[in-house]
Amino acid sequence: MRAALTIAKREVRSYFVSPIAYVLLVAWVYITGLSFYLLVTWFATNPSTGGSNNPLTMFFGQTVLFWIPLLLFAPVMTMRLFAAERASNTLEPLMTAPVSELSIVLGKYLASLVFWVVLWIPTLLYVWIVSRYGDIDLGVVAASYLGVFGVGLWYMAWGMLASAVASNQVVAAVLGFFVLGAFFVLGIAEFVHYDLTREILGYLSVWSHMADFSKGVVDSRYLVFDLTMATLGVYLTVQVLSWRRISG
Amino acid sequence: MGRSLSIACAPFSGGIVVARGTTTVYKPAQEDTVLEVADLTKNYGSRRAVDAISFRVRKGEIVGFLGPNGAGKSTTLRMITGFLAPSAGRIRVGEVDAVRDPIGARRQIGYMPEGVPLYPEMRVHEYLRYRGELKGIRGRGAIDAALERSLRSAQVEDVRDRIIGQLSKGYRQRVGLADALLADPPLLILDEPTSGLDPNQIRAIRALVRGFAGDKTILLSTHILPEVEALCGRVLIVHKGRLVGEGAPGELRGGRGGVRLLGRGELDSYRAVLEPFDASVKLRREGELVAAELHLEADDAVEEVFRAVAKAGLVLRELRPFKTSLEDVFAALTTDESERSGQSSGEEE
Repeated sequence: MRAALTIAKREVRSYFVSPIAYVLLVAWVYITGLSFYLLVTWFATNPSTGGSNNPLTMFFGQTVLFWIPLLLFAPVMTMRLFAAERASNTLEPLMTAPVSELSIVLGKYLASLVFWVVLWIPTLLYVWIVSRYGDIDLGVVAASYLGVFGVGLWYMAWGMLASAVASNQVVAAVLGFFVLGAFFVLGIAEFVHYDLTREILGYLSVWSHMADFSKGVVDSRYLVFDLTMATLGVYLTVQVLSWRRISG
Repeated sequence: MGRSLSIACAPFSGGIVVARGTTTVYKPAQEDTVLEVADLTKNYGSRRAVDAISFRVRKGEIVGFLGPNGAGKSTTLRMITGFLAPSAGRIRVGEVDAVRDPIGARRQIGYMPEGVPLYPEMRVHEYLRYRGELKGIRGRGAIDAALERSLRSAQVEDVRDRIIGQLSKGYRQRVGLADALLADPPLLILDEPTSGLDPNQIRAIRALVRGFAGDKTILLSTHILPEVEALCGRVLIVHKGRLVGEGAPGELRGGRGGVRLLGRGELDSYRAVLEPFDASVKLRREGELVAAELHLEADDAVEEVFRAVAKAGLVLRELRPFKTSLEDVFAALTTDESERSGQSSGEEE
C-alpha cells in the first residue's frame, strides 16, 4: 500500500498545480458564501423560524445552493483521475510499474478525498462567524462535517469510476454528474412516496442523510451506506482497469 | 521493386527462421534466457493484432523488433510489460511467468513506452523520484543513489531541475530512458526510442543504447531499418501480427548480393556467359553498351563472373558488386503478394 501513498502524493500535488483546482475552490467559496449570506439574512429577518434550525444546520445540505454546485463540482474534481492519464498516455507507465491496480485506484481515491477535505476548509469560516454571534454546539458541527465526509467518500469513488470508464475528462465529468444526479433525484423522490418505498429511497437520499447529520444526529446506517457505496465504487474502478488490460 | 521481388522468391537459408504460417516450437528455456515469448496472441474483438508470436531473448542481446506501423509491435511489447493481457500464449521474464505474476515480471523490466508519456508539470528529479518509489526502491538514500545513477546513464543530469513540459523532445526521450533504468532492471524494453527525434538526437539515443549493451538485455521496436543495423545483434521482423523473419542483420541479408556490369559486345553473348550464374539475369542495351544485373549466392562469385566474361573475350567498362540491403529483405517480408504485383488493395493495417 506504500505505492498507493506515493501515487496519492503525486496526485494531490498535480491537483494543486492545475488551474482547475483553484477555479473550483474560488467558485465553491463564492457559492457557499452566497448561500451562507442568504441563510443568515433570512434567519435575521425571520427570527421566529428558529427552533432546531440555525443558519449552519440549514447550510449543511438543506438548500439547493448546497447540492446543485456539489453535484456539479464532485465529478469535475474526479474527472482527471484516470481520463486525463489515458488521454496523455501516462496511464501506460503507471500501469506497467510494479504496482497493483488496487494500489493505483486507492492512491487516486485518497488524493480525491484530500481535495474533498480541502474544499470544506473555507466553510469553517462560516462556523466561526456563527460562533461569534451566537451559540454553536461543537458536537453538531462535528457531526455535520462527518456527514459531509461520508458523502465525499462515495461521491469521490463514483466520480473516479466515471473517470475510469470515460475516454476523456469532459465525458468523465458529464457521466459522473449523471450518475450522482441520478442517485440524488432517486433520493429526494422519498418525499413523494410512502411506506417502504419512502424508507428505501430515504436510505439512498443524501438530502435526508445531511438533514440528520447537520442536526447532530449521527445515523450509523448512513455511514454504512457511504462506506458500502465507496467500496463498490473503488471495486468497480479496479474492475474497469483490469478489464481494460484485456480489451486493450 | 525488381530487386525485392527476386529476394522474395529466393529461399532463406542458414540460421533464419521464417515463421510465416507456421508455429515455431521452442525447446525449454535455457539459463541465459531473459525473455521468452511463446505463441503470444492478442485479439481485439474479431481482429487479431498479434498472432502466435514466439521468440527468445538471451542475456546481453540487443534485439530489434522490426515491422511496419500497425504490425503489432507495440501490442506485443505492451503484453510483455503487462499493460495489456494476452489473449493466449506465454511470457516468461527471467524466472517469472509474466501472465501469472505480472507485477513480479514488471519488476525486472525497464519500459519506455512509445512517445514517452511523462507528467509535464513535474520536474525531472521529482518525476524520477516518484517513479523510483513506485518501482519499490525503499529509503531516501537508495532512491537518491538510483536517481543519480540513472540521470548519469541517460545523460540528463543537466536538466534535473527543469520542468518536464519545457524540455525538448530529445531530452524527454532521455528522461524516459532514465526512468526505464531507475530500478536497474536486467531487461529494457524500448518502444520506438528514436521516433520523432532529429538526427543529432537520434545519434545521441543510439549511442546511449549501444552503451548499455552487455550490461542490459534490450528489446527495442522500430520501423527504421538503419537503426536495426546500427544497434541490434538480432532482428525479429513482424508483419500483420506474425513473426515473418528472424536473424542477425547480416544473416537476414544472407550475405547475398550481386553484381552490376556494363560492357561492350552483344547482348546474347553476355546472356550466354551470365546465365549460368543467375538464370534470371536482367540484361538491356544502353546505347553501345550492355548493362546487366545478376544476383549471386556467394561474395567471391564476383571474381568468377569477371573471369568468365574476360574468357569470352568481352570487354568490361564497369563491374560493380552490391549487397542486398536489409531494406530489401524487409520490403520482401512485409509486402503482401497483392501489393507486390502492383494490385495494392489499399488496405493499411
